[in-house]
Amino acid sequence: MALQNEDKLEVGYSSLQPKPKKWVLLMLRLLAFFATAAATVVMGLNKETKTLVVATVGTTPIKATLTAKFQHTPAFVFFVIANGLASIHNLVMIMGDLCGQKLDYKGLRLAMIAILDMMTVALISGGASAAAFMAELGKNGNSHARWNSICDKYKTFCDHGGGALIASFAGLILMLIISVMSIIKLLIKPKPDSTTVVP
Amino acid sequence: MVKPKRLLRLLLRIIVLGSTLAAVIIMATSHEKGTFFALSYEAKYSDTPAFKFFVIANAIVTVYGFLVLFIPSESQLWGLVLALDLVFTMLLISSISAALAVAQVGKKGNSSAGWLPVCGQVTKYCNQVTGALVAGFIAIITYIILLLYSIYTFLNPLLGKNG
Repeated sequence: MALQNEDKLEVGYSSLQPKPKKWVLLMLRLLAFFATAAATVVMGLNKETKTLVVATVGTTPIKATLTAKFQHTPAFVFFVIANGLASIHNLVMIMGDLCGQKLDYKGLRLAMIAILDMMTVALISGGASAAAFMAELGKNGNSHARWNSICDKYKTFCDHGGGALIASFAGLILMLIISVMSIIKLLIKPKPDSTTVVP
Repeated sequence: MVKPKRLLRLLLRIIVLGSTLAAVIIMATSHEKGTFFALSYEAKYSDTPAFKFFVIANAIVTVYGFLVLFIPSESQLWGLVLALDLVFTMLLISSISAALAVAQVGKKGNSSAGWLPVCGQVTKYCNQVTGALVAGFIAIITYIILLLYSIYTFLNPLLGKNG
């Protein structure tokens, strides 16, 4: 009977300790999910159409319709894909935290979470930086290569792209913090129940 | 005696150092004079902010990699080295991604924005940039292997205690 009481005490103590950290991590994951999902959606729906009068034949003007879409630039396509994958990753991790606490594979659950988090950080950083430099090119042009800037013609496209970039960078910083916390959780493993054994 | 684990990590670090150094040197010495519709101009890596970022990021990692070689084993600093490795991996991935995006525009152009490809006029410059990007890729892949291996060896003593 004394052993049962000590077991109950140990269980109560260990369930109190990780709770605040667990909620912090969950909140951070939720914020990162919203940030990357917002970046994906805003860039994915980024499209602007302009009609210009190219020439006038007689009295009827000939109009040309020009569109700026995110698909024209491979860097933006990669940006959308990277942020989409990152938000799916965060969603799966949130579900795993909330519903599947018992899921484990040979005790490697924390290691898998840490490695997947690091991969996601790498993915988001690649996508965000590629899109950022392409956006800088679109905004300032490159006089040496005779590339004109397009932002003065497609202002809404540029504004939406800029917003998506800011959301993605916020998601990157949050994801970096989450990754560091996952690695810390991995390196500081909780003591096994052998400490409760009283001789 | 040098243990095989230490030897493997040292070898990986030397490969990373060599690749980042090669990337910096190849990118920094890439310049070519060309003519573009009867206007002569010089193509340098410093024309594009993305390539400048690539050179700076690889230079930082080269200096860091050189300094890390001098840390004695069993020092307390290896935890900090692990954390910095993660940050520098992210920096390298970011820099090569940006340089690749701009280099792709230089090679293929972007018809919707009215940007013509410039690789036809400055072929030697384009080839050197490609070489620098390849060196950067090798650096990143080796760095990721090094990072995973470092975390694995960091974990093993802890697993040994608890298991």
